[in-house]
Amino acid sequence: MNKRAAKAIINKDIRAIGSNIQLWLPMLIVPLVFSLVLPLVLVLPARFTDLSTMGNIEQIVKLFSKLSSGPLQETIMALPLAQQQIVYFTVNYLFAPFFLIIPLMVASIIGANSFAGEKERKTLETLLFAPLDLNTLLWAKILAAFLPATFLTLICSFLYGITVNIAAYPLFGRIIFPEGNWLLLLLWVTPALSLGAVFVNVFISAKVKGFQEAFQLSGLVILPVLGLFIGQLSGVLLVNSIFLWWSGAVLWLIDFLLVRKCGRFLNRNQLFTSQVS
Amino acid sequence: MIVLEKINKSFSGVPVINNLSFMVHQGEILGFLGPNGSGKTTTIRLLNGVITPDSGRLTVAGFNPVTAGDEVRKRCGVLTESAAFYGPMTARENLLFFADLYAVATPTRRVDELLHACGLTPHADKKVAVFSTGMKKRLGIAKALLHQPEILFLDEPTTGLDPEGARTLLDYIQELNRRFGVTIILATHLLKQVETLCHRFIFIDQGRLLADGTFAELAEKYLTAINLQVETDLEITGTEFQGFPLEKNTPGFLQFKVERKEQIPFLLKALLASGSVYSAQIYGRDLETLYFRIKEEKA
Repeated sequence: MNKRAAKAIINKDIRAIGSNIQLWLPMLIVPLVFSLVLPLVLVLPARFTDLSTMGNIEQIVKLFSKLSSGPLQETIMALPLAQQQIVYFTVNYLFAPFFLIIPLMVASIIGANSFAGEKERKTLETLLFAPLDLNTLLWAKILAAFLPATFLTLICSFLYGITVNIAAYPLFGRIIFPEGNWLLLLLWVTPALSLGAVFVNVFISAKVKGFQEAFQLSGLVILPVLGLFIGQLSGVLLVNSIFLWWSGAVLWLIDFLLVRKCGRFLNRNQLFTSQVS
Repeated sequence: MIVLEKINKSFSGVPVINNLSFMVHQGEILGFLGPNGSGKTTTIRLLNGVITPDSGRLTVAGFNPVTAGDEVRKRCGVLTESAAFYGPMTARENLLFFADLYAVATPTRRVDELLHACGLTPHADKKVAVFSTGMKKRLGIAKALLHQPEILFLDEPTTGLDPEGARTLLDYIQELNRRFGVTIILATHLLKQVETLCHRFIFIDQGRLLADGTFAELAEKYLTAINLQVETDLEITGTEFQGFPLEKNTPGFLQFKVERKEQIPFLLKALLASGSVYSAQIYGRDLETLYFRIKEEKA
């Protein structure tokens, strides 16, 4: 691994995101909606409306007792007010999938653009003429997508934490986020998942001709699979943390194997030919 | 030193390089000539190990580009027509980026030096997206020279440059060769520009080697007939003069066909014996005529 070259490529790619509005606008708006707008829209009405006037509130609250038993359910059941229960459930459970979607979205956009973007701009040829081993190039491309994805997720989580805590503080009188398995989800599972997504996208990007093709293919193949996974994984927030530790570990192992095995399928000749022909 | 031995390469079943063999000696400026689509660019790509040959053996600076590509690329600078730069970045940023890839020891200084040498200093901080073709080309040359390569591959370096820019560039290439002994492979269509610059020429067409040699060697072999135009007061009727066929007969000028250059003194002596000769000039003894003669002969 050629560190100087890798650093140069990562810098260049991350700076390039800033100069391409098509890339950064969705990556800015979607996270802002998830971490600022939606939480306020959901938490504030719950706080200010008298929930007991609503007809079926009893049924919703009853649902909590039917949740899988675990730390989250115990905390919810221990809360005295229905309002508190609903807000706590929304903040600590309902939003979890968003924080898996954000890094995946960023990873997909940047990852799909990685090689395909270079091909479209005819700069891949210039890169391949340099004494740069493909391993370095591949890792630089992976990191150039993984780092912004992870960074953005952490920023969003931070914003989300501030927003929901301020909005819900009068109701609880204490900080309610992050609690339970959240930190484990954000710091252990999410990065592993986004690394996998980055890798698959970068790999597709290297194999196809242009960004559009790469993005469509990744959308068609990857997103449904990941969506299924996210749905399952957020359920894990309800149960104990050991399962999350294991999920993360399995994901990291898959990432490692993907990078080790698939990296070998990339070669200069193929990469070059996919640009020029 | 570069060696190609029986190289074959095809793209999706269409052969592009056919059994191509030739050598380039160290410190040589090689004119690599051939029409569009004759395989010049493909050969340059093969020699840099960015594509792999179907069969045959390649050696560049002692390394095999297929197995030790990075060693080859460390020693070679390349300018090709299709390789582009990053439009949203300035010329300086682009060069600094590639300086990192090529492990240049003092990037800032080297980049300034090359921006100056390529006449780009006033445009150093402009985005490459607004550059003209000529400016992009000069930037490409600056990039190719970043790591002070032993071997320089230049694919159509002067297309898109104005005559002045082309002249400056060719002088610079010659200086690199003379001062630092850089081996230069110059692929081009603009034959007039490189006629006196190159030490040796390779002609290829459809991926096949047509001819290989110095201008003198090739001219000897292919430019069998010489057209000599003589400015004279002599008036001739008929189609020949003392056995030399007359090609053109205009007042004051006679154009003869001469089989070998050794015959020129005899013709001139014969002319001088009967009249005055004010000037004599050989026509068709240039690279362009050579190019067409070789193509004709090998077709």
